[in-house]
Amino acid sequence: MLRSLSVKYSPLLTRIRPGGRALSSQPTSSLGCLPTTDSPVVSKLAFFNSVTGDDSKIPSYRVLDGFGIPIEGAEVPEISEQFARRLYENMQLLPTLDNILYNVQRQGKISFYMTSYGEEAAVIGSAAALADDDEVLAQYREVGVLLWRGFSLDRVMAQCFGTHEDSGKGRQMPVHFGSTQHHFHQISSPLATQIPQAAGVGYALRRDPERRSKNVACVFFGEGAASEGDFHAGMLLASTLPSPTLFLARNNGFAISTPSSQQYYGDSLSARGPGYGIDTIRVDGNDVLAVMNAVKEGRRRCLEGGRAVLVEMMTYRVGHHSTSDDSFAYRGRQEVEDRKKIDNPITRFRLFMESRGWWDKTEEEELKSRLKQDVLTSFKRAETLKKPDLAELFSDVYAEEPWNIREQRKELAGLLEKYGQVWEPWQNDLKIFKDEGKKLAD
Amino acid sequence: MLARRLRSKFPALSRRWQTTASTTAIEPPPAGGHSSSVASSQLFRITRESALRTPGISWQDEESDRNIIGGRETRKMNLYQAVRDALSIALSKDDTAVIFGEDIAFGGVFRCTMGLAEEFGRERVFNTPLTEQGIAGFGIGLASMGHTAIAEIQFADYIFPAFDQLVNEAAKFRYRSGGHFSIGGLTVRTPTMAVGHGGLYHSQSPEGFFMGASGLKVVIPRSPIQCKGLLLSAIRDPNPVIFMEPKILYRSAVEQVPIDDFSLPLSRAEILIPGSDLTLLTWGTPVYHCESALRLLNSPPPSLAPLIPPSLRNAKVELIDLRTILPWDVETVVESVRRTKRLVIVHEAGMTGGVGGEIAAEVGKRAFLRLEAPVRRITGWDVPAGLQFEKFNMPDAVRILDGIMETLSY
Repeated sequence: MLRSLSVKYSPLLTRIRPGGRALSSQPTSSLGCLPTTDSPVVSKLAFFNSVTGDDSKIPSYRVLDGFGIPIEGAEVPEISEQFARRLYENMQLLPTLDNILYNVQRQGKISFYMTSYGEEAAVIGSAAALADDDEVLAQYREVGVLLWRGFSLDRVMAQCFGTHEDSGKGRQMPVHFGSTQHHFHQISSPLATQIPQAAGVGYALRRDPERRSKNVACVFFGEGAASEGDFHAGMLLASTLPSPTLFLARNNGFAISTPSSQQYYGDSLSARGPGYGIDTIRVDGNDVLAVMNAVKEGRRRCLEGGRAVLVEMMTYRVGHHSTSDDSFAYRGRQEVEDRKKIDNPITRFRLFMESRGWWDKTEEEELKSRLKQDVLTSFKRAETLKKPDLAELFSDVYAEEPWNIREQRKELAGLLEKYGQVWEPWQNDLKIFKDEGKKLAD
Repeated sequence: MLARRLRSKFPALSRRWQTTASTTAIEPPPAGGHSSSVASSQLFRITRESALRTPGISWQDEESDRNIIGGRETRKMNLYQAVRDALSIALSKDDTAVIFGEDIAFGGVFRCTMGLAEEFGRERVFNTPLTEQGIAGFGIGLASMGHTAIAEIQFADYIFPAFDQLVNEAAKFRYRSGGHFSIGGLTVRTPTMAVGHGGLYHSQSPEGFFMGASGLKVVIPRSPIQCKGLLLSAIRDPNPVIFMEPKILYRSAVEQVPIDDFSLPLSRAEILIPGSDLTLLTWGTPVYHCESALRLLNSPPPSLAPLIPPSLRNAKVELIDLRTILPWDVETVVESVRRTKRLVIVHEAGMTGGVGGEIAAEVGKRAFLRLEAPVRRITGWDVPAGLQFEKFNMPDAVRILDGIMETLSY
């Protein structure tokens, strides 16, 4: 019995190629299906390991090549010059803002910052494909979405400097933006927690007669965050319940120092989409027109089907993870310089615009100078502003103030009264707050 | 806002009583356990009159400014039927309300959602895939949009995958956004405490783990009337609430429950039996073991009589049900202890890190000079809930009795 088994299976074993076998090469079954399923019965023992059906990698969708020229067969979207300028201006505003705030952190004026270098097309392109009132749940490298939606530089500065103008009342680290007005849910540091939340936001949209078939919930996350259990949970819920949730993955090659080769073994995040039964696409994340096309179509499918859709944007994190990171500790400078030259999302789009006669060197200089001025003006203004009332340390924990928080607030108020006038460190520390600590006793 | 607009579009059903079907059909032996000591408790309100006079009831119907109980009806319900009744009212009156979790649609493993999917539809009462972190995250997302999200975690023992979402996200949602985003519409229901045969993973009382998650509320009912009123309050409270239902009480606790919409206050403890010599504070299932302990103390059976000094038998012990664990009613507890000068706290959860420690520290601070004995905690031991050993792990009437006597005679 065993001998006959080995004879039967050895030809099979020699036919297995590295990379796994594809199912599409198997003959269609005349043996029927498993009960209550559409799963055809087969007699040949075979494992499968390919999403594309023929061992090839999942393809990446692109419109423009490295020089901004439409590739063969490109589906160039019909956009006006005005729209192209808006895209380009935002793609330049982002690094202009990043340059200044990165240096501001280095000068010790803000505690922390994260840049979006290299990902301008991914973020601005996807923002441009969404409706302004699609609910966005982001991770931390998507301030470009807010800029596209008109979030002011003053509000950016307010949050990063933690001034009394910050809607978040200075409670979180820089880049943890949020804006009800712009349908941008508050950023939180724990990774991937926003993903199942987005499935819930999508369900709320599905249930609301005034927003169903008009809006989607859109969630951004990196390829590292997608390793968290919350990613799996969110995908399951949005695909199964279902809810109209658009999953936008920024695959930028790194999770702090961990390259994607150490983050997953499969064919990137796109391979997971079909695992959840959802429409998926992988796109050149540094091609703003491709990103726009892909996200637009993804959004349309999401609305029509009321179900999760996955768009994976392949890009590259040119900058460090954050101001607490020096990425040259784990990658060569040459690699970064090469990517900045050969695959620069801003350059690629500028060349496209120039080829259309929509841009030139003078406008480039004017734009850069104007944007820099705008950013510097708001930065300088934010520097002068006070932090929120110290009393805000204790508010908003609950909708009302419970006894324990009230007592603790009064306890601190008492301590400030006793020591605040005579203890110099406290005297100095109190001055930065709008109320100088005086509102604690209210 | 959105939620209000939806509610005004679909006016409340005026004859809602027709839709709450009775669920007292013949059933197989209870997986949820049964406790005869609970079933024979005198603390239940088993008449219509006493039920309608439950202290603290706030009627939520259109004529709630008239506190009239004359025409109101009650119906015999156990705890899971009271849960179901509350959920049915919540969904009837609030069109944004949805209920979700594992096995919700067919009625739930403890029957708390029986018939609700049929009554309100599969879009509002639905199963989720098996993922507690997903259930919690999903509920947070729904609630962030102003909807009422009633999530179920099948057993409190399985709430830990959701711990990150609950502590890092739900608890901090309002604070971190400067008050601009909030998730008051989130309620997470979960069966808790020992059931007689649950072992390590169907018996836990995790309320202690959440004490540090400021921003959350934690509520534990002891009876059907309490459950319905507190659950409706929890659902409507503008903060995220974790509502832990002692599972052994699902069938064992039976009362006449007012069928109307009513709420009971959160963060208010209730004095069940007034006293003057010692304060006995507890919540959930141990309420009934405490009641039994007091009976043993006041009229001991012959076998125990030699061990109970006659001088102690007349002690008047004040029994308090804490009801809301976070934020807890420090005023009621401290006022009681300042009178009685002795405090015993009873909970099923283990001693170390249990809620009793927090209460003892706070009471110690406020009543230090009044106390005539150290605050005594009678709890589960610091061990996982071993199956065969449950009877000697969870505090029972005799252990509570012994602790009371020790504290009385300190």
